[in-house]
Amino acid sequence: MDNDLREDLISDLPQSIIETILTKLPIRDAVRTCALSSKWRYKWTTITDLVFNDKCVSSCYDRPILENKLVSFITHFLFLHDGPIHKFALSTSFLQSSPDIDQWLLFLSRRGIRNLSIELGEGEWFRAPSCLFTCSKLTHLELVRCELDPPPKFKGFLCLKYLNLQQILMPPDDIEYLISSCPLLESLTLSYFDGLELALHAPNLKYLILEGEFMDICLENTPRLIAVSIAMYITDDIAEHFEQSSSCNFDKFLGGVPCLERLVGQIYFTKYLSIGIDSGSTPIKYHHLKIIELYQVNFEDLNEVLAVLRLIVSSPNLKELHIAGPSNTAAAVVGSDLGFWEKECPTDYMFDQLKTVKITEVSGTLHEMGFIKFLLEHAPVLKVMTITPSAYVTEGRLSMLVNLVRFRRASAQAEVIFVQEQP
Amino acid sequence: MPEGPMAVVKPEMKSYIWLQTTDGSIQQVEEDVAMFCPMICREVLQTGMGSSKNYAISLPQRVNPAILGLILDYCRFHQVPGRSNKERKTFDEKFIKLDAKKLCELTSAADSLQLRPLVDLTSRALARMIEGKTPEEIRETFNLPDDLTEEEKLEPLRNLTDDPRIRLLNRLYARKRKELKERAKVKNVEVEEEQLVDERPVDELLSFINGDGESKGVKAAKNKKKNRRRKDLSGNFSSNDSNCNQFKEPNHLPSGYLIGDIDSATSQSKSAVFQDSASVTFSPKLEFDNELDPAMEEELDREVEDFARRLNSVWPERMQEMLSLGQERRPVPVSLNGNGAVK
Repeated sequence: MDNDLREDLISDLPQSIIETILTKLPIRDAVRTCALSSKWRYKWTTITDLVFNDKCVSSCYDRPILENKLVSFITHFLFLHDGPIHKFALSTSFLQSSPDIDQWLLFLSRRGIRNLSIELGEGEWFRAPSCLFTCSKLTHLELVRCELDPPPKFKGFLCLKYLNLQQILMPPDDIEYLISSCPLLESLTLSYFDGLELALHAPNLKYLILEGEFMDICLENTPRLIAVSIAMYITDDIAEHFEQSSSCNFDKFLGGVPCLERLVGQIYFTKYLSIGIDSGSTPIKYHHLKIIELYQVNFEDLNEVLAVLRLIVSSPNLKELHIAGPSNTAAAVVGSDLGFWEKECPTDYMFDQLKTVKITEVSGTLHEMGFIKFLLEHAPVLKVMTITPSAYVTEGRLSMLVNLVRFRRASAQAEVIFVQEQP
Repeated sequence: MPEGPMAVVKPEMKSYIWLQTTDGSIQQVEEDVAMFCPMICREVLQTGMGSSKNYAISLPQRVNPAILGLILDYCRFHQVPGRSNKERKTFDEKFIKLDAKKLCELTSAADSLQLRPLVDLTSRALARMIEGKTPEEIRETFNLPDDLTEEEKLEPLRNLTDDPRIRLLNRLYARKRKELKERAKVKNVEVEEEQLVDERPVDELLSFINGDGESKGVKAAKNKKKNRRRKDLSGNFSSNDSNCNQFKEPNHLPSGYLIGDIDSATSQSKSAVFQDSASVTFSPKLEFDNELDPAMEEELDREVEDFARRLNSVWPERMQEMLSLGQERRPVPVSLNGNGAVK
């Protein structure tokens, strides 16, 4: 019995389990297991998922020393490592671009790297060496604050499924080429790009997240897109561009996404969508679109309202709708086109699946109330409608409520909740 | 099966799967629960086994009855589709509150049944038992043998971590090294002398003072001479009574100090060295020195210089070699030129 108690509990577990355990440790602790026993001496050298960050080295106040320690740690680790490396993630606020990082990338490109994520400190952006583009087995690539310059003979990452680029300096043509040359790409995130005109060709793309100052977004070939989240910032240049544009953005953007299930539009997206829009219904129906979230919708701009209407009317299976008004303006009571709603809304249209509606940042303007009225009258299975008034509106709330109470409801079970306290 | 809010599920209506563990015992388990394990699921679908006691599915060797019970509890909870994420998480947290032995067995068993979520859960728990603990604590938890040498323990870590514990270990190790060094110094000095120092001139020089009748003969004479030289430089005075004393005294000084002194000695002029020795009340040496030819003096100086250089460059590696030979067979490459050139 005594022998049983002294029996080594863990060292003889299968290597795959040991690696799972070691991968769940911070990498510094994983390396320290080499001092445990003779069996454990080299167990850490074969882990395939490496995650490095500033916690790998003990902290000190002297930044150059810290940088050196981190570089030394990673270099020595890679040197002592044995076997393939599938994942390499580096996230540090201290390291800048350095020849060491280039060497690590060269090393990784020879070890069959599949998942690469690099986020360096603020300051001079990391200039990716050309060996990055020879990592042919990449399936996940995430780069932050990086300069990318693909070599002319770069044919794309043929295995890439997930691409996340944030604050990247890259010629616009190269961005489009990069995206279109990754045939298996399923998820794309582009953040904080400036003045980008983007035409997306990605036949397998399912998830798209865009955030930044985009001049133009055209989803040319994205038939499999399931979820889209766009946050568009507008500068003066872009606003000017919008005014001069003659194309219909709605069609350009939502023309080729029949499988879309979820759409999230933030900041100026609805404005973007509204440009070039005309009255009349669209033949395209989004049969799978279940969730729509549009923020910062300016109800005073009738084109924007038109865009929202067209969108929700083309989505027969819409289940959840969340609309937020502009968060920075007080109520502007504009006595505009009162016949708008009767004109534009198909009177016999019913939202057969719409169950949840959330309207936030409500200022109580005419068109906002008109919109709410429209929804209540045409949503027969509505369960909950939550209305949250804008924080800037204090006096108009009573009249808002008075109007609300008056609206007819198509759904007998509908709860209309007027949120008093701001969350 | 009759459905309805008040339906009572009759026992004979549920289907069961029969499982057999390596100790021979057979259990019957509700089908939904058992099928949650991919390995059992596959066995049932591919081979049709498990439907009766005689055709019980043999579970892999790593699954003993107690652990099987735990695994089935896990499956029973998680196979119910309606549970919220929060509920599942709470259950998991409670579930893994086990000792190290059970956790290791559970991980192993879950792995053999291909129940990946449970493997991940238990691995995370084991990782938490390792994270942030000292090696001693981890060895205690998992009954690991402490079978690494000091050298092996520090080797990869020295490059990778600047852990204060490692620095402390390094210091302790350095102290141990020094002790070993001092103990082995006799052997070492002899070996080095043979290889490095040209015997003949020293022999001649020392022959007339070698009066102790030391059986080591030439070597002893060399040692005496060297020790005396060192003593002069470091300012240690003692009688020339026995070799042992001479051997011991320099040992009490840190080797770094010795080396440093010899170095500084070589940087001074030759005469200065002997002038220092002149101040020592060590008359035999003085007489001896005064009777040297200039040529012999030069030889001596050169040897002192050589020896100092070699001490600086070779001693650490030689020390390591000595230690490693004592502890394990591991060759340490030491490059020595014939004339002891510095690396």
